[in-house]
Amino acid sequence: MGLTHRRVPVRLSLCLLLAAMVLAACSDDRPEYPLGDQGRDLGSLSGAAGGAPPVAAAVTFDRLLKARSEPHNWLTYYGAYDGQRYSSLDQINTRNVKDLRPAWTFQFGQFGLHASEGTYSFEAAPIVVDGVMYVSAWDGWVFAANAETGQELWRYKHEIPIDTPLCCGNVNRGVAVANGKVFLATQNAHLVALDATTGRPVWKEVFGDVRAGESVTLAPLVVKNLVVVGTSGAEFGILGHIDAYDLESGRREWRRYNIPKAGEPGGDTWPAKGEARNRGGGSAWITGTYDPELDLMYWGTGNPSPDFDGSVRPGANLYTSSVVAIDPDDGAMRWHYQWTPHDLWDYDGNNENILIDLDGRKLLAHFDKNGYFFVLDRTDGRLVRVAPFVERLDWGEIDASGKVTPKKIPTKEGVDICPGPAGGKEWTHAAYSPRTRLLYVPIIETCANFRVEPVEFKEGLPYYGGEATTHPDHWGAVRAFDPATGREVWEWKNDKPMVASVLATGGDLVFAGEPTGEFNAYDARTGQLLWQHQTGSGHHSNPVSYAVNGKQYIAVPTGWGGWVKGFAPGTLGVPRGDALVVFALP
Amino acid sequence: MLSGVVALLLVLGATAAVFPDYLRLLRPSVLSQLDPQVVRLVNELPGVDKQNKEIIGRLFAHGGLGHAKEGADGVMRVDVRAPSGEFIWKPAILVMPRPGELEVELFNDDPHVHHAAILPSNGDKQYLTLPIHSRGTARVTLDGPGYYWFGCPVGNHVGRGMLGLILVKGDVPAEARLDRPPQPRP
Repeated sequence: MGLTHRRVPVRLSLCLLLAAMVLAACSDDRPEYPLGDQGRDLGSLSGAAGGAPPVAAAVTFDRLLKARSEPHNWLTYYGAYDGQRYSSLDQINTRNVKDLRPAWTFQFGQFGLHASEGTYSFEAAPIVVDGVMYVSAWDGWVFAANAETGQELWRYKHEIPIDTPLCCGNVNRGVAVANGKVFLATQNAHLVALDATTGRPVWKEVFGDVRAGESVTLAPLVVKNLVVVGTSGAEFGILGHIDAYDLESGRREWRRYNIPKAGEPGGDTWPAKGEARNRGGGSAWITGTYDPELDLMYWGTGNPSPDFDGSVRPGANLYTSSVVAIDPDDGAMRWHYQWTPHDLWDYDGNNENILIDLDGRKLLAHFDKNGYFFVLDRTDGRLVRVAPFVERLDWGEIDASGKVTPKKIPTKEGVDICPGPAGGKEWTHAAYSPRTRLLYVPIIETCANFRVEPVEFKEGLPYYGGEATTHPDHWGAVRAFDPATGREVWEWKNDKPMVASVLATGGDLVFAGEPTGEFNAYDARTGQLLWQHQTGSGHHSNPVSYAVNGKQYIAVPTGWGGWVKGFAPGTLGVPRGDALVVFALP
Repeated sequence: MLSGVVALLLVLGATAAVFPDYLRLLRPSVLSQLDPQVVRLVNELPGVDKQNKEIIGRLFAHGGLGHAKEGADGVMRVDVRAPSGEFIWKPAILVMPRPGELEVELFNDDPHVHHAAILPSNGDKQYLTLPIHSRGTARVTLDGPGYYWFGCPVGNHVGRGMLGLILVKGDVPAEARLDRPPQPRP
């Protein structure tokens, strides 16, 4: 056989191969089928009623101003604009609280992945309006429920990207309700107004940039015609801001940055050159309080960025780790007080500012993460009194005049400092009872190792400039303080930090949950533990009280998580959960 | 000699026609981006891309990449199939060029078992059943950049490999940034 004779079959076979492959490529091995099912809301396959009575339509600014005059409702994040977390309901009292038992439970365990799988937490303060409860959970969920039976009425889900930059957990602290709408600020910085009867969006605005590390965890605050929100994310070098939107149209009315520009008042507390002020932090991740007579809102601001490396930001770093008094009409700042100048410990200044009137004075009480209890005159921000409220405190001294003298700062080698970065009290709120005239405070006694590790700023990446490792040899307490003297009146000690908001009631009771699941009622005058119920998961939320058809309820979300590594690392193994537990007398 | 070149060209042409993805992977621009650690995963442990080989199931999101295409109505669309016996969404990673509405058409080609789908969407998760040899559709709204998951909530189908991702590209609206100073991205 010659060469010519062999070439023919080679060519032929190649051509046949090509033809076969082309035919294979063109053949349809992906059959089509007639259309079967179509996507439907998962909630349509539940017991949800599908709608809520139109009770929220009548929630006006005037009613919010007088929220305490309708104690059967819990109308705002703190229950009222003054931030006291006090309910005057007294059906449940020191004599009968021993009979308190669960009335209903709401749970929302969810499918699949979500951001911060290891650090989500159920932190909200439920809002209750005339028998309807509105509560947000983590990961963009909002539920309306019958406040008497717990039946789900509607749900809304805002999808949160799994890769949202979150320093501390996938959490949300609640919604605001007014003018027939439910307002939700999502972890990826969207502000959504929902129809309170259906849960369907009415308008939506984006007020932060997730790519820049901005996120949101707070409950919005409605004041006048505005819904006011703030950003989280100072661990990513954001430029913190507070925004106000018209609650009907969703139009932004103003934005204020918490770091002044060069030439503005306070601008000289940042380096004149460079970008430090543009990465300066000063987030606003806790809801403000409001004094309608002075027409001032009081918002806390977060740590400067980077958290632990102050060498790149010499100066006091205004207005970080401060309280700012803001005119709600235009966002202008009327005064400020900086709790921790040139903060190097991540102490923030976001903790609540409780408004108290004592002996004719308009006061503001604040328990800062830095371990000091401040009382200010809220008309002008002048210091009235300052005193430590924790035992483990060595970062610095603040004298009676308010002068701050740092004693221990983070170092390259690492140094133990008290309190740790979660503070002597975390964001979880104190309460004030106008009956006992006492403040009730959840206490953390911790120390941490603080270390500086300089890092270059890159958008969206953590910008701590070091680290703080909280030691697990911690404990806690609920302590009662007299704002008139600053003195401690009673203490209930716990072997774990107390990191849930406190509720005070007209029944002279104080409620507070433990990290290990116990929900406790104390005598507000003595601190004696009167009642306890194990809810099965740790408490890191905001209990509230309300009444329906003359019956008083105590509601507490439970679902352990959040920044446990920072505030109570000795409780990292506590069971997770997602239950809202509601208690009543038989 | 000439016939050899012709044969080579024919083979390359046939390969390009039938396996275009392989040729595309040989582009220098692609080769330069390959992450050796990721390449090693499927080169040294190819069984992780099969059911019941190296591990019991198949690694999450290993059903390939699919780009949603935007229609004249502004809705982005993509097809996703559940191939026979693979416990995988194909493609498993869906890319939306920007936030917005996505219509997903799902096909169950798997005679072994019925499937279902849960997809992320603002308002509520979207659910649909996918009986054997069936087709379903869902329209979802994802209004922010980032990535989201979808999966099959039947048995342990997610654990076997039926977990997919929706990648949403793009930025937040300019008004969200307002007058924040510009800053560099990594």
